[in-house]
Amino acid sequence: MIKRMFAIIILVVIMFAFWLAYLEIGELKNEYAKNYYLDKGFEETGSKNLVTAIYLDYRLFDSIFEAGILLLAVTGIMFMSKNDERR
Amino acid sequence: MRISLILVCISRLLYPFILLFGFYIILNGDKSPGGGFQGGVILATAFFITYFIDPKKIINLKLLVKIEKYLFALILIVACISYFTNGEFFTNFIPVDSPIENKRIFLILLNFFIGLKVTTGLIAVFSAFIEEGR
Repeated sequence: MIKRMFAIIILVVIMFAFWLAYLEIGELKNEYAKNYYLDKGFEETGSKNLVTAIYLDYRLFDSIFEAGILLLAVTGIMFMSKNDERR
Repeated sequence: MRISLILVCISRLLYPFILLFGFYIILNGDKSPGGGFQGGVILATAFFITYFIDPKKIINLKLLVKIEKYLFALILIVACISYFTNGEFFTNFIPVDSPIENKRIFLILLNFFIGLKVTTGLIAVFSAFIEEGR
C-alpha cells in the first residue's frame, strides 16, 4: 500500500512538471539551432548528412556515451548469463 | 534443431552481400543516410546468418567483449586528438579552415570504429542468448 502511494505521488509530481513545461512551450520554441545547422553544417563539418554532422561533430560527447551504454549493456548481459541461479 | 537445406544455401549466397552492404552503409555514412550505428547492426545480422550455416559453432565471448572494450578506448582516443590540433575536446581533429574533403577523414574513421564496436557488442549479446538456449 505504501509502495503504491509512493508511486502515485511520483506520478503526480512528474505530471505537474510536464504541465509546467507545456505552459511554456510557446515561449521556448525557436528555430535558431535548426537554421544554424542548415546554414553552416556542411562547411563546418564536411558532412552532407546532417545527422552525421551532429552526432560526430557538434554532439560527439553525447554519442561517445551512447556507445558506452551499449558496452555497459553487453557486459551486464554477459554477467547475468554466466551467474545464472539454476546452474 | 534441424535446418532446411534451402535455407542454408540461401544464407551462404546472401552472406557476402550483407557484409558488403553493411560496410557500404558505414563508409558512406557522411554523405548518405546511415552511419556507424546502423551499419554495425547490419554487419551483426550478417554474422547471425552464419548460425544457420553452422548451428554448432562456438564463439569466444570473452574475446568479443575484450575487443569491444579496446574499440571503445580507441573511439575515446580519436575523439580526444582534437585537443592537440584544435585546442578543444570532442570535435574534428582537422583544422576548421582546411578544405572540406579533408574533414571527411575524421568522420569516416570514427564511423568505422563505431560500426565495429556496435557489431562486436550485438554479436556478443546474441551469442550469449544462443549459449543460454543450448
